[in-house]
Amino acid sequence: MQLRRQPLSAPRPGDTRPAAQRLAVPLLLLLALQGAAASGEPEDSGWLQDAEPSSRLLSQAARAALHFFNFRAASPSALQVLANVLDGRAWVNQKKEYKFDLVFTTEFYRAEEGEKRLGTCSAQVFFRNDKPRPAVNVTCTQLIKKERRQEEDYQLYKLMKQLKSPLNAVRIPDSHGYIAPSLRPIWNLAFLGSSYVMWQKTTPFLHYFMSQISSVKQWKTNDDAIDFDYTVLLHEFSTQEIIPCRIHLVWYPGKPLKVKYHCQERQTPEEGSGTEEGSAVALTELSNF
Amino acid sequence: MQSSPGGGVVRKWSPVGRRTLLVCSFILAAALGQMNFTGDQVLRILAKNEKQLSLLRDLEGLKPQKVDFWRGPARPSLPVDMRVPFSELKDIKAYLESHGLAYNIMIKDIQVLLDEEREAMAKSRRLERSTSSFSYSSYHTLEEIYTWIDNFVTEHSDIVSKLQIGHSFENRSILVLKFSTGGSRRPAIWIDSGIHSREWITHATGIWIARKIVSEYGKDRIVTDVLNAMDVFLEIVSNPDGFAYTHSMNRLWRKNKSSRPGTFCIGVDLNRNWKSGFGGNGSNNNPCSETYHGPSPQSEPEVAAVVDFIMSHGNVKALISIHSYSQMLMYPYGHSLEPVSNQEELYHLAKDAVQALYEVHGIEYIYGSISTTLYVASGITVDWAYDSGIKYSFSFELRDTGRYGFLLPAVQIIPTAQETWMAVRTIMEHTLHHPY
Repeated sequence: MQLRRQPLSAPRPGDTRPAAQRLAVPLLLLLALQGAAASGEPEDSGWLQDAEPSSRLLSQAARAALHFFNFRAASPSALQVLANVLDGRAWVNQKKEYKFDLVFTTEFYRAEEGEKRLGTCSAQVFFRNDKPRPAVNVTCTQLIKKERRQEEDYQLYKLMKQLKSPLNAVRIPDSHGYIAPSLRPIWNLAFLGSSYVMWQKTTPFLHYFMSQISSVKQWKTNDDAIDFDYTVLLHEFSTQEIIPCRIHLVWYPGKPLKVKYHCQERQTPEEGSGTEEGSAVALTELSNF
Repeated sequence: MQSSPGGGVVRKWSPVGRRTLLVCSFILAAALGQMNFTGDQVLRILAKNEKQLSLLRDLEGLKPQKVDFWRGPARPSLPVDMRVPFSELKDIKAYLESHGLAYNIMIKDIQVLLDEEREAMAKSRRLERSTSSFSYSSYHTLEEIYTWIDNFVTEHSDIVSKLQIGHSFENRSILVLKFSTGGSRRPAIWIDSGIHSREWITHATGIWIARKIVSEYGKDRIVTDVLNAMDVFLEIVSNPDGFAYTHSMNRLWRKNKSSRPGTFCIGVDLNRNWKSGFGGNGSNNNPCSETYHGPSPQSEPEVAAVVDFIMSHGNVKALISIHSYSQMLMYPYGHSLEPVSNQEELYHLAKDAVQALYEVHGIEYIYGSISTTLYVASGITVDWAYDSGIKYSFSFELRDTGRYGFLLPAVQIIPTAQETWMAVRTIMEHTLHHPY
């Protein structure tokens, strides 16, 4: 079994490798596993590298890492989205655990038209079987200086404190994709909370996008923190299902985000894979309130 | 609630069936000059337990009636929506607060909302008389699109005609635009959009492309050459029932609206209902699933109509099916990882098309076969088309890559259509120059 570092071509358009060679990870690796015994890398015994990981698979892993990053940064003014995967390696072992090593670029989520500032992240993502909540180790270059980010968070926070209860605006964005400027901070904060949920739910085969805030149950700004209770519609890509999730978060600039959630599923929820294992990831902040 | 082309009501705000119905009755009452709702509010209360629920029920029982429930007290986990007349607001709020009942103001002033809604409905009834006042940078309702189609055909009757190829499950017309400069059963290019109703950018792109084709004929060499030798068929709303539903009730509805006795859930994924690899991986036999393939291939009238049309035409040389989102251009197969026989050719054509797209606004698409680029999906349009002998079968996934997803802001309609057109034009040109 060849172990080969497979650099991706420079950012698109398209892909220089003929599609026939770009087989999905599971198929290729299952074939490899059925074949000869594992060659055994010195540090990770049993890991078989996918020689040609599909860009889709790598993007999914990168997004999972970014959901985790955004959640931990807890900064609604500094949310980042995936731009391009520059380099990625994927491994699986006989225990059906998946491991990814990625380098990718990111953009600001709140980018105004034309503002194209790219950051770079490197991440290791680990899934135990096809369980959700991968263990993530991610480092990103600073897109904006810490002081500026804190200042922008604080400005956002002040805006939110002044906001009259946004309960009249039931859906954000509306059907035409429009978000009123006054509701933008709500959208960003909702995305922050959803990032936590999406990280929790991502598996090697299920990945999520936030479609719409379908209702705002509660928006409280007494005390100091913003207390936000809302329902969001997540779009799971491989099944095309829309999953409503009730999310309740508490946010104060500079403090870790507190989130509770409950999603309406057709399947039973799975145990996470990110509570133990390999990477230097501290446990998330789950508090009762 | 059904709406048929040429009639029906446009709803401006968010669909909650019962609330909309109630608002309609209010409008009726207000119109008859009987009632004024200025200052009335709708409060949403979340009762924490049975005790709180019964407190709310007490309010319901008051005589004379002080409140009016739009969503009555049922269970502790369900919100209770209560209309409170302006005169009773102070008392009712005091009552709620003194009993520790948490509430939010859902509607601050019902009359304001009614006035806005009435204005919107009146506006929608002023039917557009020509396509020049039609906004290509907005999303439209089914009625508006069907009206536009009629106007468009009238204005360009030398090249464009309208065909009805069948009826949807809820009996809506399925319409196709035919672009032709003459001849008889010329080799043809088929384009469809809107097979998944929530992908609104696709209908909008289809409409823009229709206009682009007629405006470029006689000006752009490729379009002129194509239309002088071939016909183009464009099905803008491939799933009219689903599309109407995304306006009336559920913006994120994907499937059609077919139902069967004994089946609890509604709708079949029209892009899993085709006769190629039907029922395989990447489709679902659970009717409640978003990728439910239906009871049998072509069981859905929306799919059968297209199959019948293309088969009886017999001379379709390229098929382009437009979806969103992901920014991808793909060719068969979806149901298998096996490459198609002209895979090399399709790969290079996709590459050229994506390059042409990129040059418009710098948007990056990835390309490849469906199964390797997007996911394994069975019973899809382009697989069927390819297996039916249509060598140039492509599937688009338009903008974006997930930031807005299905709810792509209207401001992106024209840029998306402009770039997509350049890719479509590339495929058309190749098809023209590679007859078979």
